Amino acid sequence: MAALTSEIVPGLVAGGASCRMDADVAPKFGVGDKVRAININPIGHTRLPRYIRGKVGTVARDHGVFAFPDTSVSGVHRDPQHVYSVRFEGEELWGADANANSSLYIDMFDNYLESA
Amino acid sequence: MNGIHDLGGMHGFGPIERETDEPYFHDDWEGRVFGLFFANFAAGHFNVDQFRHGIERMAAAEYLSTSYYEHWLHSFETLLSEKGIVTSEELDRKQAELSQAGGA
Repeated sequence: MAALTSEIVPGLVAGGASCRMDADVAPKFGVGDKVRAININPIGHTRLPRYIRGKVGTVARDHGVFAFPDTSVSGVHRDPQHVYSVRFEGEELWGADANANSSLYIDMFDNYLESA
Repeated sequence: MNGIHDLGGMHGFGPIERETDEPYFHDDWEGRVFGLFFANFAAGHFNVDQFRHGIERMAAAEYLSTSYYEHWLHSFETLLSEKGIVTSEELDRKQAELSQAGGA
């Protein structure tokens, strides 16, 4: 069994046990693309919050390639794909009740998005 | 899963308390729980998605009435029990020992 050693602690703490993967995977979207979050209600793990589902936003940044949480919860990092910072306008998320000029940037996996 | 952890946009939890000079840990046990994550992760007992899923599976009322690092500890206990690394009897026994040693 592997054990924690003092040498690997600083990297682990700084990286937060990162799920970044060194895989050559093409992005489905580019910065500036309009995207819609899919509507799923899985009983297992997902990092797609309910308030984002079905909403339209704009890709602001490509973070690179990471393991997909919904399937990596099996215990093995799998389905490497691009993760983007996507900007959603407050009005798109909360309607007329949104604060004026509010927007939200949230990290979204490729599998959570479709073209809008 | 559509669990209680996914509370973005919900009302009724009051304002977010902002502390000036907020410490990393509010008590020594929180630092130990933080360290336990990395010890368990390095040992290969779980990955970060399993860890998060362990928190998400908490009973809703318990999730809302416990603190951030209590959520971490709950996930460790769930995952290590499921994997047969500790038993709930061992956890109960240790907890009883500690509360006895702690006095009141």
